Amino acid sequence: MRYDLKEGNLLLKGKNSFILIGRAKRLFILFIETFEKELCQTVREDDLIAVSAPEGGDPRQAFMLLELIREYNMPVMVLPKGHPGSGRLNMVVSAGPEIIPGCGIMRGTHPEQNVICASEEFSGFSFYSDGGFVRIESGLLGRVADNSGMNIDIVRIPDSELRY
Amino acid sequence: MCSVGGPMDVELAERLKGKKYRCNDCGTTFEAVGKHPVCPSCQSENVTLV
Ligand SMILES: [Zn+2]
Repeated sequence: MRYDLKEGNLLLKGKNSFILIGRAKRLFILFIETFEKELCQTVREDDLIAVSAPEGGDPRQAFMLLELIREYNMPVMVLPKGHPGSGRLNMVVSAGPEIIPGCGIMRGTHPEQNVICASEEFSGFSFYSDGGFVRIESGLLGRVADNSGMNIDIVRIPDSELRY
Repeated sequence: MCSVGGPMDVELAERLKGKKYRCNDCGTTFEAVGKHPVCPSCQSENVTLV
């Protein structure tokens, strides 16, 4: 499956969670701030930016987050494990040429790749930048569709529909 | 990488090991992840692993 991101974003809707994927649009440096250091990640125009809402929520919030990163280059923060604030953060962001939802069997299997926290619904999916398009691979899609009735709706949404 | 708007999951963050670079144009040293390090100060791609 390959979808054009030049004119908008892709919303992947599960039953209780979703992932919004957009294109970076231009080169910028994503700053990742941890407790002890700063990491710089070069994001190129065709790279993907994904916002995952593992417990669901408003896609417009996800879009705001996406815009804060790609339009305003807001740095992302890393909280230490067990920090009381982590429970309040219901959406996570990842950027790069490939993004793997980190759920179930995928977790830990791709140490060199971008991993984004997502719900089980996205187990087996992976997203690759492909010259202005996103290529979605879903290794388990057949099995998921047969066994559990879990399904992901894929909707193309222009920026204008995600703004307040 | 799994980061939040906000924060990120530390189990994953611990795997987020960067490499240190020095910019040959402006001298900035920085730690970067990914295959295409670019200087955060002057956007130069002329950087060396240190
Ligand atoms: Zn520089």
